Amino acid sequence: MKLTSREENSIVILEPRGKIMGGPDATILHDQLHEFIDQDKKRVVIDLAKVEWMNSTGLGILISGLTTLRNNGGELKLARVTEKIESLLTITKLITVFDNYDSVEDALKSFD
Amino acid sequence: MTDNNRFSDSLTFPSTTDQVAKADEFLETWLRKIGVPEDTIANLAIAVTELVNNAIVHGNKLKRNKKVTVSLTFDSGMIKITVADEGEGFNPENVPDPLAKENLMKEIGRGIFIVNSLIDEVKFQFPPGGGTKVTITKNIA
Repeated sequence: MKLTSREENSIVILEPRGKIMGGPDATILHDQLHEFIDQDKKRVVIDLAKVEWMNSTGLGILISGLTTLRNNGGELKLARVTEKIESLLTITKLITVFDNYDSVEDALKSFD
Repeated sequence: MTDNNRFSDSLTFPSTTDQVAKADEFLETWLRKIGVPEDTIANLAIAVTELVNNAIVHGNKLKRNKKVTVSLTFDSGMIKITVADEGEGFNPENVPDPLAKENLMKEIGRGIFIVNSLIDEVKFQFPPGGGTKVTITKNIA
């Protein structure tokens, strides 16, 4: 997995690419999320359009990010969730936990 | 071993988490060679990486000297993949339900549930000599 990030209107947009399957790769996303929290950047959108697939490790990272942000008064939103990841979120019932948006722009607007 | 309609191969590696990506690469390379559709490759790769993670972390408890083996066979349209560790085994019946309200926000505990959801046939074996062997089967004929 590769990870890039940018900011728009003080909202962090994380853009992982590839597969999120566990191992050292997966800690990149986890560590990056926690780094932003430490910098008091607590509004985060994860754009999942370029993620081929993830397994339960990836889902665990999303849950960890959401929980940590909420516990610190922030929020995590998902954007452009692919069909494959949406089906995993559905079978694990996590679809009920995350706010998902069809576009990054819609996710950003939801913070207004 | 390969011919037009059958092959078998295996990969054995130490119990370090960086091996998950190598196991995935090994698996996906073979599945593409035999023409498995991309969506099926993704489901098998998700399932196998779940099993490899479990074997490394829960089975072999990250002990480098303990090995994990991923074995693949393909015969007459049937793909069989086995992930074996050298741990102490476990009772699949005792794995908590990840859909239960109290477990929904937990960061771990969804692996086996996801494997069972994506794969039609999943078989757990606990050989007398120790370890866990999980075999998943997929018919692509």
